[in-house]
Amino acid sequence: MTRDAAQADRNAAVRAAARGWKQAGAIDEAALAAVAAAYPDDRHRLGPVFRVLVFLFTIIAINGASGFVWALINSAGEIQTLVILLVFGVALLVLTEIQVTKMRRAQGGSEAATSLVGIGYLVVFTGWTADKAGLSSLHVIAVVLLAAAFLFAGAAWRWGYPLYAGASLVALLAIFTAFPQGRLAWIVLPLLAAPVLARLAESARLPPAHRASCAAVLGVALVGLYVALNIASYDSGWLEPDLSIWKLRPAIWGPSVRWIFIATTALVPIVYLALGLRSRRWIFLMLGLGTGIASLITLRWYVHLAPLWAVLTVSGAALVAAVFALRRYLDSAPGKERHGFTAEPLFEDLARRRILEAGAAVMSLSPEARPVHEEPKFAGGGGEFGGGGSSSEF
Amino acid sequence: MNPDVANAIPKLVEAGALPPEGAPRLLRVARGELVSVHGELRALLYLRVLLVTGGVGLLVKENLDRIGPLAIAVALGLAAAAALVWVARTAPAFSWREVPSPNLGFDYILLLGVLLAAADLAYVEVKFTPLGESWTWHLLIVAAFTALAAFRFDSRIVFSLALSTFAAWRGVSAARFGTDLWLRTEDAVRWNAIGCGALFVVLGFLLKRADRKAHFEPLAVTLGWLLILGGLGSGMWESASWAGWAIALLLVSAGLAAGAYRARRFPLFAFGVVAGYVALSRLALEGLRLETLGCFWFFLTPLLVIAGLILAQRRMKEPA
Repeated sequence: MTRDAAQADRNAAVRAAARGWKQAGAIDEAALAAVAAAYPDDRHRLGPVFRVLVFLFTIIAINGASGFVWALINSAGEIQTLVILLVFGVALLVLTEIQVTKMRRAQGGSEAATSLVGIGYLVVFTGWTADKAGLSSLHVIAVVLLAAAFLFAGAAWRWGYPLYAGASLVALLAIFTAFPQGRLAWIVLPLLAAPVLARLAESARLPPAHRASCAAVLGVALVGLYVALNIASYDSGWLEPDLSIWKLRPAIWGPSVRWIFIATTALVPIVYLALGLRSRRWIFLMLGLGTGIASLITLRWYVHLAPLWAVLTVSGAALVAAVFALRRYLDSAPGKERHGFTAEPLFEDLARRRILEAGAAVMSLSPEARPVHEEPKFAGGGGEFGGGGSSSEF
Repeated sequence: MNPDVANAIPKLVEAGALPPEGAPRLLRVARGELVSVHGELRALLYLRVLLVTGGVGLLVKENLDRIGPLAIAVALGLAAAAALVWVARTAPAFSWREVPSPNLGFDYILLLGVLLAAADLAYVEVKFTPLGESWTWHLLIVAAFTALAAFRFDSRIVFSLALSTFAAWRGVSAARFGTDLWLRTEDAVRWNAIGCGALFVVLGFLLKRADRKAHFEPLAVTLGWLLILGGLGSGMWESASWAGWAIALLLVSAGLAAGAYRARRFPLFAFGVVAGYVALSRLALEGLRLETLGCFWFFLTPLLVIAGLILAQRRMKEPA
């Protein structure tokens, strides 16, 4: 990111936090205006709905333009198509750079669309070229993934898109499935990277978008580590595809190490949760919870303790008991907090809370629940993505 | 943790922009010294509803022969009644205005109770067929019951369930009986979707106008417009009458976008713009026989739409 884009990003984070404070009733309109004046915005931004619309129509326009040029050339020749992909891909990345730096656009929809389609065109160009060069299909996929990893990483670093950063590591890890001992890379890489990423995700030296990018990469790394260490993944050979790409084959390390994977399936969620509780890092807490559920499903897959309906019903009942017990435990402490945790909604949580509730609401096809009577002081009336260092670009 | 915000708070206090008494708490949150798990607890409660309803569904499916239909129906009814009795005892007094939830689990236990009751009714209908050939009416009964629960206990979650069940009743009825009345099932379903959508929009309008549960209005109106636009849009793929449906969709979506623009209703504005563009493209590409210039159309027209959107954003001033 350029220096002024980074500064704009930092200012945006402070303004977003102030909006959260205002929505929670911690500050008034005058204070919000004072924060906005102290941390001004020099970017051209759009609201979420307009941003999505502009993003959508920009993607249509780009593909219409490339299709029109292709039709003008009036040739189905592969070389011409490759040239169009290359020229459009490069031009779109240049256009993104111009929008972000010269035109000072941020959260505008169009710059995200040009960057995404540009990367897509260049990835397709790379894959097609590799195929024409006579590489095997497995190696073509590896080349495509490598190109995607580099392009997404570059775009995340330059323009500050956390989603691209996560996608970059997904592509990088996927490459290793094409090679023998790929599982080892899925274990070693995250183990080496996680401590560094956890620090960078909170580093004051990085702008919020880069911190969020590090958090996204950390999340992917931790999920990758869990997948590599899960016993079902090992037994089914999820990370060891045969040369006939999609056909899986059993794990290659032999049955003698199987017990290690059984242990890690149980231990990894516990470690994530422990780290989350100790450091109060949300990503570890969420992944601890998520991988814990995955490990319970794995356990049910191997060991039939009870019929599935009983497992679901009992775990549902246990879940509600745990939620209420935790809530009561936290609420009973002075100031309704223990060890730095509270069950009260806080100002900084608005974006995160909305993501969680929207996800749950989508799952149950319903809107989110009401604010609770017990916490009128902090009950927020909405919120936006973009605070706390996150990006709301998509 | 947000170091930029943590750095900014002392400066804002010093400059008088932030009240000093509230700053320490803000600072603790920004430094990651105080973390809320409120959202996580609510998400877990949603998950719990899914788990229990999924478990109950499997129980019914897998143990029908062993337990017997009557026992299952009674068990489901008792479980639903237990949840709803708890809700009724815990709920605050009725009000036409928005009422805060009495506790964290209230909405979720209400949802669970309603879902269990609906499952029980469906099960009774399938096993004992009290409604006979008119079995689709049980969906209307569920819709009415959930709507009553939604209004009494002020739950938007349950209200959305009531609306979707009502729409399902119309859809299933039309698909089942449409051929007798409308000659073609597709037309019957389509007109039912449009009619249902119009009904929801009117309901939302009335709720807001009467200031009775006015906070339910966005749900009713959004679902209503989705049904109307979806119904009109589905007609565009008919071989004979597609042009009429496309023109209707274009006119309706233009009206919606204009109305939403004036009322600053951003999601409805987006619905209108997207649906209008789809209808116009359908008319232009086939009606005006622009097949060969299709790419040019999809190159030029989105740019015009984007220009229009940027102008509209300046007037509507959607917060970034």
